[in-house]
Amino acid sequence: MEGGEGRDEEQDGMSVHSPCNAPPSSASSLRKEQSQVELELRLLEALEIYPPAKLRGIHRHFVLYGLMEFLRRSFGRHFSPSDVLQLLDRFYDLEMLKPDDDDAEILNQEEDFSLPQSYFIKEES
Amino acid sequence: MGSSKDDSATDGDNSSGDLPDSNSGLFSEGEKVLAYHGPRIYEAKVQKAEFRKKEWRYFVHYLGWNKNWDEWVGMDRLMKHSEENVLKQQALDKKQGVDKNPKSGRSIQAKPKSSTEVKVDKDDTKSNGVTKGKKRKSESGVEKDNVSLEKIVKIQIPSTLKKQLVDDWEFIAQQDKLVKLPRSPNVDDLLTKYLEYRSKKDGMMTDSVGEILNGLRCYFDKALPVILLYKQERQQYHEAVADNVSPSSIYGAEHLLRLFVKLPELLAYVNIEEETLIRLQQKLLDFVKFLQKNQGTFFLSAYDSSRGSEGSSKGKDN
Repeated sequence: MEGGEGRDEEQDGMSVHSPCNAPPSSASSLRKEQSQVELELRLLEALEIYPPAKLRGIHRHFVLYGLMEFLRRSFGRHFSPSDVLQLLDRFYDLEMLKPDDDDAEILNQEEDFSLPQSYFIKEES
Repeated sequence: MGSSKDDSATDGDNSSGDLPDSNSGLFSEGEKVLAYHGPRIYEAKVQKAEFRKKEWRYFVHYLGWNKNWDEWVGMDRLMKHSEENVLKQQALDKKQGVDKNPKSGRSIQAKPKSSTEVKVDKDDTKSNGVTKGKKRKSESGVEKDNVSLEKIVKIQIPSTLKKQLVDDWEFIAQQDKLVKLPRSPNVDDLLTKYLEYRSKKDGMMTDSVGEILNGLRCYFDKALPVILLYKQERQQYHEAVADNVSPSSIYGAEHLLRLFVKLPELLAYVNIEEETLIRLQQKLLDFVKFLQKNQGTFFLSAYDSSRGSEGSSKGKDN
């Protein structure tokens, strides 16, 4: 973990000039702008469930999958992983985010593999 | 599971110095037992047994529970896994008002957020000078992420693959054999093969599958040395996997399948919404079925008995 206050870095990761800094609007792009706002709102909603810090840890692919699915359901269209990452890029500098502490905690204790007892039921009875 | 918690074996536990002779003998490592935790009895497995301060201490893992609940207990907390004691367990469950299914009963009632908080508090007040900061931290971490055990992903492993896993266990744990490494196809190959198969079948839009497969590879590489190896395989791991090599390029289907046994545990850390979880479940199951369909080619039917790579013959190779 790169040192420093993790929680604060999340704030730092917030990009200053987005998302309000949309391209200069002509009348025709007004609708587009609205849909952008909608998109961003939904994304922020999704981030409540899938915290950006988790995009740095071992679960990152499943977190990204969760975001893809959330947006797919919200807008009824497909979002690719890079779509989601680009969208995220408006709010966060993922490189700057400190990986989730809890993620670092798992899989740090060696434990021999063992099959659950249920696999042996035939042998036992 | 919210009751007092015996801490690590190193702590100066003076509560029960004598061996209770009433108990029908000791518990051995690897033994499946029943363990009291709070007001209930759980299935558990003895991971380690050590004699300390004139009494036996057992490191137990509660079956079906996250390993963060693993703990050292005295023998007064354990019972033999006998029919009689199972009945006792059931009676106790009934008394506690648990529904028929012990799993769901446990997940809902036995581990609410508050119980861990109580537990943590107790640890604090006990303050017997043991370094347990780390343990506590991980517990609270789990609690935060692992709130809803009922939202856990369920992957029904087909019976032929279950058999494969049991055979795998038998080869390694019973017959002292090993999977010969490196494997071909390796895990990377298997994931690629599946992606190809999927994209042929569906045309396009496989990038969500791709993301899941990446997730599996990432889990596999991290989890393999930590939780996917039998004790007998550790030395081989150190010999076969160099520092900058990922296990997914060395190991194959045998070990990948073990990941699916552990997958619910790992995915529980991601707070996935129900609808997404169902879709994810289907996709994971589809992958498992792909493994099953190709079971004959992906999995070894015989393991390596020579243990040649280890140089030491244990007199087993005749």
